[in-house]
Amino acid sequence: MARAVELIVGGLSLGGIYALLAFALSLTISTTRILNVAHGVFFVWGGAVFVIFAQHLALHPALSIVVLTALFFAFALVFQWGIVRPLLGRSVHLLLVGSIMATFGLALSMESALGYGWVTYVDPYPVFASSLAMFPVTLGGVSLSGSRLVILAFVLVMVTGFHLFLQKTFWGRGARAMAQNFDGCLVIGLNPYRLSLMLFTLAIVATAVSGAFYVLAVPLNPYEGLPLTLKAFTVVILAGVGNLPATLVAGAVLGIAEVVTSQFLGTVWAPAVSLALLFLVLVFKPTGFFGKGVY
Amino acid sequence: MSPLGARGWVVTVGTVSVFCALPPLLSSSWMLVMFLSFLWLILAANYDVLDGFLGHINLGQGAFFGLGAYVATILLNVPTVQELGALTLVVVTAAAVLAAALFAAIMAFPLFRLKGLYFAIGTLILIFLLQVLALNLTPLTGGSYGLYVPPRFFMNTVIGYYLALAVALVSLGLNFYLSRSTLGLAFRCIKEDEDAANSIGLNLMKYKTLGIVIASLPTAAAGVLFALNSGFIDPNIALGVERSLLPSLMALLGGTGTVLGPVFGTAIIRIIETVFFHYLRLPIPSMLFFGITLLAVALFIPEGLLKSPRIKRVALFRALASY
Repeated sequence: MARAVELIVGGLSLGGIYALLAFALSLTISTTRILNVAHGVFFVWGGAVFVIFAQHLALHPALSIVVLTALFFAFALVFQWGIVRPLLGRSVHLLLVGSIMATFGLALSMESALGYGWVTYVDPYPVFASSLAMFPVTLGGVSLSGSRLVILAFVLVMVTGFHLFLQKTFWGRGARAMAQNFDGCLVIGLNPYRLSLMLFTLAIVATAVSGAFYVLAVPLNPYEGLPLTLKAFTVVILAGVGNLPATLVAGAVLGIAEVVTSQFLGTVWAPAVSLALLFLVLVFKPTGFFGKGVY
Repeated sequence: MSPLGARGWVVTVGTVSVFCALPPLLSSSWMLVMFLSFLWLILAANYDVLDGFLGHINLGQGAFFGLGAYVATILLNVPTVQELGALTLVVVTAAAVLAAALFAAIMAFPLFRLKGLYFAIGTLILIFLLQVLALNLTPLTGGSYGLYVPPRFFMNTVIGYYLALAVALVSLGLNFYLSRSTLGLAFRCIKEDEDAANSIGLNLMKYKTLGIVIASLPTAAAGVLFALNSGFIDPNIALGVERSLLPSLMALLGGTGTVLGPVFGTAIIRIIETVFFHYLRLPIPSMLFFGITLLAVALFIPEGLLKSPRIKRVALFRALASY
């Protein structure tokens, strides 16, 4: 019983992180139609920058998060200006090809720059892990890892934040409208450039901060970005693009399935679970497990 | 004459004979560079069958390569296959190519239910699927330790060079055929407008499946050649992500939908790779440089070299793009 609760909490915190990654990706894909392959790399960079500040420069963790947010805010502006803006004006096929190539190029260069830079300047051992002490929490005789609970709390806060942003704010409504009908938004005078700036800033900062929280519990290495992007894509397809509540459920299902698989079949088979799930969904329900919903 | 035209024949035969005459002049390391370049060209040309002619971005081209390499190596380690004598390599190659074609035909069913962006993601996942299988089915594939080809089946680079050249020519011939035939016309029709193609009676699933099977055949043969020449494969070498992504970069850089586009793209990427990283030994990671190249291509020449209006102003390039 205690074992089951531990597994579920572990799976939920892992799945919550997947869901957060997928949220940001789903939001930007459905609105701007830009397929950002570098998404997982931003996550890994978030974790790495956090470890540099919190550990190697011995900054207070909360202050590190603030610095991280500022840095990635600036990065998001550059990303929008340098990559998203030139791509947005293209026709559908060229936009897709261009966005895959450009963001994949960015992903490769950021990944290798991080791998090279980390080994050369920071630490010869290329793994980012936070050594912040997290006390285990005991609840009704079940001992739970503190860092997992912190991640779970963070996920809940972020999901609520995303939900409120999309439902209650002007730009959130704009994002939902754009996901429903791109041309319609142009007709009513919504500025796609400003909206995409908004969404990409939000997505990139949220992703980087998620990365910082992730390394509290699980170490990352510089080359984990692209596989993580793929995992986020899996969740996006499982849930149906643009369907945020379903994304949360799909992320949780995937997280729990992976944790249970690594418990009973060994960690090597964990990646196979998401692939198997994905192919089953593609064969039997290509619109995604929960159908296509728009926020 | 033929669709190629007299001038086309002269240039093609001339280029091929130059490549045929090259091996005695090259050192063994340059032979290997050329051999690998031909393999990349096969992948890039096959990638273009789906992208340039059918309008589907296939990021899983490397899956067929890896599958071909693995099937061939696994079979070569089976004693009964080893005792077939002269037939062994033929049987092994045929089995590898058939396995890849079968895999392509089966995967066509789930994959082609997706379109555009989702198809691209779905195909990218193919290679991870095979990677997971190759890593975990240890008794069959050797897991992360990889598999060795028995030494007596090693293929030296000179033979590999000619075989790879031949397969590359077949791939390019296939693309040329697609650019001039009714089959290719059907493909292009589907690329332009699926609904219109469907309404004039084209069976979309049939043509798409045919397309992915065609694209898988030479790629699997390239995988076999690679395995026989290197003598060793593991999930990273045979099924690395760059096996899937570099061919698309090459085709896109050269210009998709043109027969010669992938040739130019492959040549440019291979020259950059060889000159900068093997010859000059730049002190930066090669992937950093590649990433930036890719980014620059995507932002500044989105249509690819041979289709870019700026480059087409030169008469020579205009002529090349028309093939």
